[in-house]
Amino acid sequence: MDFLNNLLPHLLNGLALGLLFALIALGFTLIVSVMEIINLAHGSLFALGAYVAMVIINPGFTDSGALGSYYMSLPLGLRYVIALVFAPIVIAIVGFGLEIILRRTYGKKKEYGLLLTFGAALVLEEIIRLIWGPAEQFLPTPDAISGAFIAHGMIYSTYRVYAMCFGIFAIIMVWLFLEKTPYGAIIKAGAHDSEMVRALGINLPRLQMLVFGFGAALAGIAGIILTPIWGLRPHVGIDATIPAFLIIVLGGIGSFKGAVTGGILVGLAVGLTGAYASDWSLLSMYLLLIAVLTFRSRGLFGKKTALEA
Amino acid sequence: MLTSPRGAPLVNVQMLIFFAVLLSYPLWASSAGLYQYLGVEIAIFVIYALGFNLLLGYTGLPSFGHGAFLGVGAYAYGLWQSAFPNVFAGLLIAIVCAGLSAGIVALFLSHRRGIYFALMTIAFGQIFWFLSIKLRWITGGEDGLLNILRPEIDFRFTSINLSSNVSLFYLVAILLIAVILILWRVVHSPFGTALQAIRMNETRARFAGHRVWLIKWSVFTLSGAIAGLAGGLLCITQESAYPDVMSLHASGFVVMMTLIGGGFVSFWGPVVGAIVFILARDVIGAWTETWLLWYGLLFMAVMIVEPEGVVGVWRRIEARLKGKTAGVAPVSAAKREAV
Repeated sequence: MDFLNNLLPHLLNGLALGLLFALIALGFTLIVSVMEIINLAHGSLFALGAYVAMVIINPGFTDSGALGSYYMSLPLGLRYVIALVFAPIVIAIVGFGLEIILRRTYGKKKEYGLLLTFGAALVLEEIIRLIWGPAEQFLPTPDAISGAFIAHGMIYSTYRVYAMCFGIFAIIMVWLFLEKTPYGAIIKAGAHDSEMVRALGINLPRLQMLVFGFGAALAGIAGIILTPIWGLRPHVGIDATIPAFLIIVLGGIGSFKGAVTGGILVGLAVGLTGAYASDWSLLSMYLLLIAVLTFRSRGLFGKKTALEA
Repeated sequence: MLTSPRGAPLVNVQMLIFFAVLLSYPLWASSAGLYQYLGVEIAIFVIYALGFNLLLGYTGLPSFGHGAFLGVGAYAYGLWQSAFPNVFAGLLIAIVCAGLSAGIVALFLSHRRGIYFALMTIAFGQIFWFLSIKLRWITGGEDGLLNILRPEIDFRFTSINLSSNVSLFYLVAILLIAVILILWRVVHSPFGTALQAIRMNETRARFAGHRVWLIKWSVFTLSGAIAGLAGGLLCITQESAYPDVMSLHASGFVVMMTLIGGGFVSFWGPVVGAIVFILARDVIGAWTETWLLWYGLLFMAVMIVEPEGVVGVWRRIEARLKGKTAGVAPVSAAKREAV
């Protein structure tokens, strides 16, 4: 029992991390399955989301007039919520722009789209560095969700509990959106056979743009929630991209269940190895991936897709 | 098509021109505003990109973890050099170690296709990068191996001191020529045509009787071994080996080099691309600190406007000069269909 008690905070950390990884991976897998593009800029959108949220929470005007000073007099909690709503919208708009650029590569080699997003990742990261500088920044969080509390003699970070709850909430919302709304049905149909969706009279370019924006927004949200744990640096995106890839491959490309299961598995692996051998915590996810793929070539829930041809 | 099915001569005119330009570089470099060290760097990256293009351009396998083998080569050379200082033995060890690592990785990759292949290479690349940072007692952690002095090569009758950039350049240039001659043979051999068959349609290649996984395994291993050679040379040049070359970004750069030159359409694509990449770094880097931003934008523009790269543009100009503008389009259309 004592052992379990010691383990519990690490389990919780791992779970919080895993659920947010799953959120990043969900956006990624939506883009991959509808557009057949590996979005290497996903991590940069993740980082950009956090930076935009930081600006919304604390715009830092010096001489701002009545509206600005009114805004700054709002409590931090309210500004945080505003950031949580508007920053993903900004990222979705960036995603729309990226998708419009990407259109030029449709119908050509798949690698071109992939490489275009690699270029976009470089550009976004450099833009972040240009605007906010290379130094580590700080995303403020309201008092209600920071600090720590003690239960059963162990210290828990309040923020991680919040992050876990938020992760669960966001994943359920995405699931409801995909399963219970007509838009979700169209997206799933588009992932299954985009030509057929077009033949049925649905505006495919618009669908692709919206899906890309939606996936980007999910990355942005994950960025806002995760960067207070990780710290906010221009290259933080890469720390998000790699787990997202691994989770997608681990869970199986295009599978919702796979992304969530993979995310939680990777989060737990990182969290638990972090408890005993913190130096090696990141290695555990690569080993997990190789172990799974050696026995199941398309991941846990993967099906054969057009992407392999 | 990259090659004619009827085979190709051992040496052709383009190759001779390139060799002449390469070997005379130390003579005209300073009057062209370049410096000797730059030539060494470009030649090394040309070796790296040429080996990489075997995988990307010829076989159509996008590897995003190729920096790992460059790094393994650099570390292997550095470690060997600190124990037994001998340049050629060190380079051989670099090739063997990188080839071995690539061979092991390729066992996991050779049955994978498309997106799964790309993602697995990322995972393996990250593992190597991670190990290079964490195995401090071997690799020196984040600092890497330092102070690997450029040795003197003793040929009994004469000796060459590699601390001079010019003599180092000639060592690299001769190895580059060897790599070009070997790769030229490889891509025009039946093995090379099989590689292109796999790029065109892997399933058909298998039905045509090729043992696809074995071919993919060997080309990955060969490509990794060449990256190891480049890594060893990089270690000589920079007198150090460090984990940075193994990061995802660095691995992405070789993909950019290969494509911006036109690796998909020509043997010479990666050569052009590596030259453009290094020159762009220096030229844009001298002008602004955020050279990666501009290079990234340039790269995106290339991908949008002319994804066949510099060689693609050149071919288009050539076709227009010959007055048959239509000559280019059907080829790329046919290729698009085949892919």
